[in-house]
Amino acid sequence: MDDKTKTAAGIAAGLQGLSYDDKRLAELAAEVDILNTAVRTAAAQRLTFDDDPAAFASVLMREAKK
Amino acid sequence: MRNDDRSLWELSEIADAIAAGRITSVEATEACLARIDLWQPRTNAFLRVYKDKALAQAKAMDAELAAGKRRGPLHGVPMAHKDMYYRKGEISTGGSGIRRDWRAPVTATVLDKLDAAGVVELGFLNMAEFAAGPTGHNVHHGHCRNPWDATRVTGGSSSGSGASVAARMVYGALGSDTGGSIRLPASACGVVGMKATYGRVSRAGAVARSWTLDHVGPLTRTVRDNARLLAILAGRDPNDSTTSDKPVPDYEALLDGGVSGLKIGLALPNDGPAPLEAQIGAAVQAAADTLGKLGAKITTATLPDFTALYRAAEVMVKCEAAAMHRPWMEKMPEAYANQVRTRMEAGFFIPATQYIDALRLRAHFVTEFLETAMAGVDAVLLPAIPFPIPTLEETDTETKGGPAVLKMVAGFTGLTRPFNTLGIPALSVPCGFDSNGAPIGMQLVGRPFDEATLYRIGHAYQGATDFHQKVPA
Repeated sequence: MDDKTKTAAGIAAGLQGLSYDDKRLAELAAEVDILNTAVRTAAAQRLTFDDDPAAFASVLMREAKK
Repeated sequence: MRNDDRSLWELSEIADAIAAGRITSVEATEACLARIDLWQPRTNAFLRVYKDKALAQAKAMDAELAAGKRRGPLHGVPMAHKDMYYRKGEISTGGSGIRRDWRAPVTATVLDKLDAAGVVELGFLNMAEFAAGPTGHNVHHGHCRNPWDATRVTGGSSSGSGASVAARMVYGALGSDTGGSIRLPASACGVVGMKATYGRVSRAGAVARSWTLDHVGPLTRTVRDNARLLAILAGRDPNDSTTSDKPVPDYEALLDGGVSGLKIGLALPNDGPAPLEAQIGAAVQAAADTLGKLGAKITTATLPDFTALYRAAEVMVKCEAAAMHRPWMEKMPEAYANQVRTRMEAGFFIPATQYIDALRLRAHFVTEFLETAMAGVDAVLLPAIPFPIPTLEETDTETKGGPAVLKMVAGFTGLTRPFNTLGIPALSVPCGFDSNGAPIGMQLVGRPFDEATLYRIGHAYQGATDFHQKVPA
């Protein structure tokens, strides 16, 4: 079991109260790693302190065709 | 000269004919029921058909009309909907086994709106379990089958909506779209599907897949029918705080503007999760050529790299789905299809900071898309599904496990899911048939709240082509 799979095992059992076998934990760790890395990288490139999730709806309204 | 089989008429034609007294709602309903008798065994599009109730409702609509009362623009028109729109006191399965006998405590806002418009309810339609799945597989209620070829998928998750409209069992149907679930079945079944701007149509009383990515919308045979339906469905709803109070245009009245002077950016991306197959690219290129001949200026649109955006969407949907399904996933994980449960499980492991950052990124992604791919154009034209419609067997990942499911889903939704994350409108319109005889669909993507321009382009295209008039034999 690699480190990321061990982390997933810890989250499942220790934090979420869920049980998965080692094979599934390895799959989940790999899946989450891809997603987290993509979002973390995109966030580092784009986000600032003041970015608000609710800005999305504002942008849609602002960019609506007049 | 109209076809004597009224099930083959379009929604707007049937509505106008009923209003003018040329036919009755009962006649229209009987025509649909006869069509359902013929096509339901071949497609499994319906989960429940309300034959007696629909006929009684149609009879009441005819009586009202005879007494001078017309409820609205769809008075007496039979429709059916994806089985995830609640009607108070009635069963609403969400395509699941878990809710097989569950009765809804409220009525969905969109059903209230259709009731007010005078729609007759024929029943509720098959769908992917809890709206999770792009193919139309359903282990609880039976797979939905494509009317053009029963061995092939319908697309999902609004599988029954696509199949029932294509097979002329209904004049129109509600679907929902979290990653392509209106546009995929519309494309695979050869009908029109609109995923409007996020906030344009209320989600209240509809089963959620992801609150931040779900879009409610119509599937129809023609763009005109779709425009009429969206005008009824759209608008502010106090029961859905994400809905916009922006005025709803009369989309149908704006259809005939033509495309002369409009600028359309053509995108034939070959770098998504699944490669763009040549015959699909050729069909969309031909559609662009047709629009060019009609007067549109066709340019090349370069799409941004959607990888990060796609991953951010996965983060949102997995976290939200895991949160809402957790009680059932803990108590009865076996009650889910493997391919449905396994797609949600990663949501338990994604840190909240990543989920929040995915939400914060959306505004940036929209701005970037509008400033690049949509710069200087009124719409972007691209395929809906990048490959010919596969068979049910080829896409059955139920026994193959998590990674196989993720790969299959990504292949289907690579060109549709980005527009859920962006929240901008996207319309799927039939534009050909593949080498197996299954439909090909193109997508038109527009600026926020500019559904009218997409309808205008789609309507002009349908005026010059007849793909939408082909009927499965």
